[in-house]
Amino acid sequence: MLQQFERTIDALEAKLAAPQGNTPRRRYALEFARLGKRLYDGRHPVAWCGVVAPFDLLNAMGFTSCFVEFVGASLASSGVVDTFLDRAEQDGLVPDMCAYHRAVAGAAALGMMPVPQVLVATSCPCFAGQATMENLARLMERELIFLHVPLEQTPEAVRYLVDQLESMITQITALTGRRLDPDKLARTIERSNRAVAVIEEVFELAAHIPSPSASRELKDFGIAMPLLFGRPEAIELAQVFRDAFAGRIRSGGGNGVTKERVRLLWIQNRIQFREPLVKMLEQELGAVVVVDELNHVTWDPIDPQNPLEGIARRMISNPFNGPIESRISKLQALARRYRVDGAINPCNWGCRQGAGARGLMQTGLAEIGVPVLNLEVDCVDPRSFAEGQLRTRLEAFVEMLEAKSSPWS
Amino acid sequence: MRIGFACAYAPLPLIDAAGGRPFRILPESTAADQAGRILHDNMCPHVKRILDRAMGDDLPELGGVVLTNSCDTMRRLADGWRRARPEERVFLIDLPPAAGERSTRWFAAELERLRRELGEWTGHPISDAALKDSIARYNQLATGLSELRERLNEGGLTGGSPALQRVYNRISTSSLTESLALVRELLAQPTTASGTVGVPVHLFGNVLSDPAVFELIEECGARVVSDDLCTGGRLVQPIPGEKDPVSPIERLADGILSRSACARTMTPDTPGQLGEDLVARAREVGARGVIAHIVKFCDPYLGRLPAVRQALKAASLPLLVLEGDCTLRSVGQQATRIEAFVEMLEETL
Amino acid sequence: MYFLGIDIGSLSCDTVIIDQTSGIVASAVVPTGARNVKAIERSKADAMSLAGLIDEDIAALVSTGYGRRRVAGRSAAVTEISCHARGILHLLPETRLLIDIGGQDSKAIVFDGEGNVANFSMNDKCAAGTGRFLEAMARALEVDIIELAQLDRGARGELTLSSMCTVFAESEVVSLIADGAEVKEIVAGLNRSVANRVQSMVKRIAPDLSCLPVAMSGGVAYNEGVVRSLQTQLDVEIAIPEKPDIVGALGAALVARERALGQGEKRRPTE
Repeated sequence: MLQQFERTIDALEAKLAAPQGNTPRRRYALEFARLGKRLYDGRHPVAWCGVVAPFDLLNAMGFTSCFVEFVGASLASSGVVDTFLDRAEQDGLVPDMCAYHRAVAGAAALGMMPVPQVLVATSCPCFAGQATMENLARLMERELIFLHVPLEQTPEAVRYLVDQLESMITQITALTGRRLDPDKLARTIERSNRAVAVIEEVFELAAHIPSPSASRELKDFGIAMPLLFGRPEAIELAQVFRDAFAGRIRSGGGNGVTKERVRLLWIQNRIQFREPLVKMLEQELGAVVVVDELNHVTWDPIDPQNPLEGIARRMISNPFNGPIESRISKLQALARRYRVDGAINPCNWGCRQGAGARGLMQTGLAEIGVPVLNLEVDCVDPRSFAEGQLRTRLEAFVEMLEAKSSPWS
Repeated sequence: MRIGFACAYAPLPLIDAAGGRPFRILPESTAADQAGRILHDNMCPHVKRILDRAMGDDLPELGGVVLTNSCDTMRRLADGWRRARPEERVFLIDLPPAAGERSTRWFAAELERLRRELGEWTGHPISDAALKDSIARYNQLATGLSELRERLNEGGLTGGSPALQRVYNRISTSSLTESLALVRELLAQPTTASGTVGVPVHLFGNVLSDPAVFELIEECGARVVSDDLCTGGRLVQPIPGEKDPVSPIERLADGILSRSACARTMTPDTPGQLGEDLVARAREVGARGVIAHIVKFCDPYLGRLPAVRQALKAASLPLLVLEGDCTLRSVGQQATRIEAFVEMLEETL
Repeated sequence: MYFLGIDIGSLSCDTVIIDQTSGIVASAVVPTGARNVKAIERSKADAMSLAGLIDEDIAALVSTGYGRRRVAGRSAAVTEISCHARGILHLLPETRLLIDIGGQDSKAIVFDGEGNVANFSMNDKCAAGTGRFLEAMARALEVDIIELAQLDRGARGELTLSSMCTVFAESEVVSLIADGAEVKEIVAGLNRSVANRVQSMVKRIAPDLSCLPVAMSGGVAYNEGVVRSLQTQLDVEIAIPEKPDIVGALGAALVARERALGQGEKRRPTE
């Protein structure tokens, strides 16, 4: 893994240095390859985490922290995930389970996950993730710290989570000797806030008609960015996207790849392995994914002087937490803001949390005139990818959207 | 007033103390298969069947439903239920995913919230005294049930393990008074010789309520000497600490969270505890093997199977995993595997 | 001036030729077999010779079905969703919801009087509720697929299959035979389970069918047992066109005609 990240970094640095080579997506890939290198090079203390863990706080304590699903996505995007999925199956994990977690289990069993200093599991988003973290703790013989994220944001719930965060900090210090410097945390939180503000600008620009963002340009952007929070690169990277999008709008608009005919909202995960369909949608049919549900997990600025409360609120207010109504309102708001013609839900196979209420989400978007196409895709396991069947569904969906009047006209 | 519930973590003494009659919504129904429409077809058949009952009106009149955030699918059940029956009162308990002191305090606060709500539903505000009394009577029920279990294991319970499952099912949908009377009546009957033939096995997993499945397992040559199922042994367990200087709500919270756990409850301090507990239990009851019934698409159990397998292997306890949809048919199709498993256990005598 | 539509499915390759007034001039259905390019050629050649036409007579050709991109000389490739909606409206103009059960896919399509698709759903990954499922079951029962369509006659309909997965259902059928269950009861059970899967797909896009006259196409529409069971479960009458297997190809021919004559251009810019 380390060699792979190093090779990727070399290749990307060369491309970025070339004239016209400085594209936002390359810069993005570079920063996350660098994160991968830090995780795997054995020179940085590592914390493997659940998806909504406080990465900025862990960064302030000197950890390179990352949610484990990142490993599943990386293995899938580099085309080598099959070996790890096979191993997980041999160990007794059935293919009905989420393949992000199966890939992680396989990687851990094959010694492809560095042993961390600590593990921080979070109850949000899912129980499969909790089981995975427990299994990693058992296998790697490392302490597991667990954060129960309550379902609703009440004063009691925030206090309860703040209390858990405080214990987490104490426990990490006891285990690793690393302390949390309040001033450093305050500076880190200020940087998180600045990064979120720039990310908001990126989204504001992406909402333009036609959108300056190409379909795959912001793939995984919002879900992965928190991993860099507190580090200066988070702000720089967001600025690269912002400046590129602003430039495209100034020079006439559009994403430079295709003429936008249909605007799409992508619900939940992207497909992580290489597949031709999103490109086909964009280039053959002019159907552009202009917004990802998973990208838009932003929040109000956190008070650097009282950071734990803000962090707790951030964790609880994640739309994947709590009642499905909050997720549906979020989807409706995104559909309106980006004026999308339709939405695609890959219904990641094995994801009870994300795909489990697909019918309710579909109804919610239908109420505001936005049709949803539900697919059956395992976003990480390429072995059952039915390209032909999916292509027919996608093409038919675009044909249908083009025959309809826009929900916003 | 019947109060619906769907998970063994439901605080039954609170329902009883409010003058309610607990009604477990079991996944047995002839209602049309339509839950996949509002959720997803790729969800656990237990929850889908429960939602089918809600959508198909295959339920008695309920004064409200108490659901738990036991897993992602149960969480979605609450969303689906509210959509299917918008008029019905639904209370969702935010059940902590790990045991421990802080979790217990959180859970106690949730139960306090439920106590107020249940009082409003039934018109009977729940006093500490009433709750104490309900806990005491549920403890009597738990004692009665373990006596029945003992009688069964000594070969003295008419009808064997299918009969005990019938008792569990009746308790699931009866008032506490009726349940106590039923168990008392059975205990008053003379012991009969139902025999102790068959290889003793421990049954592990989640939802399996059809007594016919127990008959099938016994026909295959096994004898179910204990179970750790949410529709069986985990349903009613004693709440200790009667003498402790804590409120009955705190006692209830602590008792429910710290008893024999469903795979959904994490053990951060002792990862893999589920497998260790299973080994201890199987040894304690003298089981020669373990049959696991895991409902299809159940992440908490499926995710912990590798660790459970390892623990059992290390203890030289053979394991048979049956994936099913809570029905006799899904288990029946695997009858040959059960028979072969039993033959294997007999050979290793 | 003639217009040609080809529908290349996993089981059959169908061609329909229409004239300027949209009247059907000829149609042909050939099995797809292992090589769909051959099947396309044969199906087209059969229809052309039936109609007595040569290539120059064809003003436009539209292909549809999963092999639609394999058709040489096409003016456009359009999905079978849009084509089926168009095709059935031409045959049964009242229809607003079409159920198509083909070999590989089953689908439900809701559309307006112009054939504009308002919503559609397709079967999930698995084969349950498709022609392939029924073929596998016919194999398990050791009967012909055409025979299977009649075999449920006189069944009491008490037997329920629990397995929807083809693999499990096949072993369930085998064990039911071993247990001495009557074939007609098993077939009735199979039909109900296919119909159950299809009805849930229909209900997903159309919970209320009261204003949506329903029709059915695809090879399985010839199977009376499935149709009957589906009518019961959906509680509606289902209209079946005379040749349910050429609906997609007919739709493709109609699209070819519209596009060639410059009608029905609906594409809109989003700006």
